[in-house]
Amino acid sequence: MPELAIQIKDLKKSYQDVFALKGVNVDIPKGEFFGLLGPNGAGKTTTINILTGLVFKDSGNCLVFGKDTVSNYRFTRSKIGIAAQELSVDWFFSIENLLFFQAGYYGINRIDAKQKIDSLLKRLGLNKKKNSKLRQLSGGMKRRFQIAKALVHDPDILILDEPTAGVDVELRHELWNYLRELHNNGKTILLTTHYIEEAELLCDNVSIIDEGKILKKGSPKSLTEDLGKSGITVQLTQESIDKKLPMLDLDYSIEDSRIHFSVKNPELVIPKIIQELTSKNIAIHSIKTETSSLEDVFLSLTGKSINE
Amino acid sequence: MVNWIGLYTLTSREVGRFFSVYRQTVIPGLISSVLYILIFGFTLEQRISEIQGVSYTMFIMPGLIMMNTLTNASSNTSSSMLQMKLLQQLPDLLTAPLSGIEIALAYIIGGAVRGMVNGILVLLVGVLLIDLPVHDIGGTLLFLFLVSWAFSSMGLVMGQIAESWDQLAMIQNFFLTPLSFLGGVFYSIKMLPNWAQSLSYFNPIYYMINGIRYTILEKSDSSVMTSLWMAVLLTILFTSLAILLMKSGKRIKQ
Repeated sequence: MPELAIQIKDLKKSYQDVFALKGVNVDIPKGEFFGLLGPNGAGKTTTINILTGLVFKDSGNCLVFGKDTVSNYRFTRSKIGIAAQELSVDWFFSIENLLFFQAGYYGINRIDAKQKIDSLLKRLGLNKKKNSKLRQLSGGMKRRFQIAKALVHDPDILILDEPTAGVDVELRHELWNYLRELHNNGKTILLTTHYIEEAELLCDNVSIIDEGKILKKGSPKSLTEDLGKSGITVQLTQESIDKKLPMLDLDYSIEDSRIHFSVKNPELVIPKIIQELTSKNIAIHSIKTETSSLEDVFLSLTGKSINE
Repeated sequence: MVNWIGLYTLTSREVGRFFSVYRQTVIPGLISSVLYILIFGFTLEQRISEIQGVSYTMFIMPGLIMMNTLTNASSNTSSSMLQMKLLQQLPDLLTAPLSGIEIALAYIIGGAVRGMVNGILVLLVGVLLIDLPVHDIGGTLLFLFLVSWAFSSMGLVMGQIAESWDQLAMIQNFFLTPLSFLGGVFYSIKMLPNWAQSLSYFNPIYYMINGIRYTILEKSDSSVMTSLWMAVLLTILFTSLAILLMKSGKRIKQ
């Protein structure tokens, strides 16, 4: 079994009489790109805030590389870099100075931090703005600064809370590319998001969370295969309608001149369907595939849309 | 194990923060002290005879120094902490490998430095403008240090508890300023009726003002040792409170 970067065991938390987390379990192996997917208010931020020490838990445990985040907080916090959802504000210092401070909190002196900070500012396109104050940056730049701040102490684990919330399409793609690059360089990444596309594109595995409970976990592909509603609809030509259909080894239903196949991997089954139908001289007018997404998975698990 | 670099970094941030806005944090104390000297001192001095054998302007200087020291020390920590809370900067500290004691100490040192800087500058104003004699410079600095540290710690407690600027302003306006004025900045408590004198003994700032007045002018309403012990006691009390509250995280985490 691969080493676990993060282990969250039966985590519970309530605010007054509202249960925010009702026993959350998450295992994230080292080097994985992991997504915590759920609607707003599902418990994503509470989970990572407990993991990083911002919120007290009621019960349960969080371990980082096998060490408890409460009793071994110096070790566990030094392993984690966090880009919070809410952008912070500072009135006093340049962003370069803020990065030096951040490195200092993690025990890295200015001389050692210099190279890392220079390279992060360059890589994230903030070099020209390094003497600016945070409030002088655009929203997108603030978001990039947030990520630079999380990486300044070169943590093994990067936690991103809704990193692309309120970000334009171009920057979103830029950030995705950068996150992939970090992942390829060996970082373990925990991302919370309510963007289906983000989870599908980036994550090796996701856990779907709603109302403080993990409903399902797995790779985006396996989840959509198991719970999605994918299929193929074949429209036959008029003259083929009355022909006897071949006994395909698939679930299907016929409606007028349309045959609908419920399959998990439409792209793999299409050649077989075409082959079988043409071999029986049944002419095809058109073929439409419906691939399901994690959105369908969420819908089938909760009966509601993730953006509700 | 202590995160020395972390402690040093946060301390230098706290000190750098107030120096970067010295027009708000250092200059006003100097201006108001000069105004006090000019208005209270030179105009009232004609009408008020010497108090305890020194001119009125001279008499109020130690109190002005102390008032500046303790308001600056406490407002540095209280406003910095509240600002960090309101501007979402606190999570950067709370998710870093810093202990509650390290965070608290860094804040307290930052506020104490501001208190000392302000106190010493007002002392210099006194020396330059009215030839203020300083009989025991070591004692004066000791009082400045203890009071800066104590009130910086008190400010940190306030900053953790407060949830808005309103609440902070309330503590400042309803407690600190009245207690300073009533602590005998502008008068000797011997000039008060008996009941008011007795009340003054419950005001900790009374001891701070009279302590430093003794080290500068060798005049005091209270014994200098009592003042010193009160300063030490306040320092220990507020430092412990500030650290314990920070360690518990009760007012800064959910």
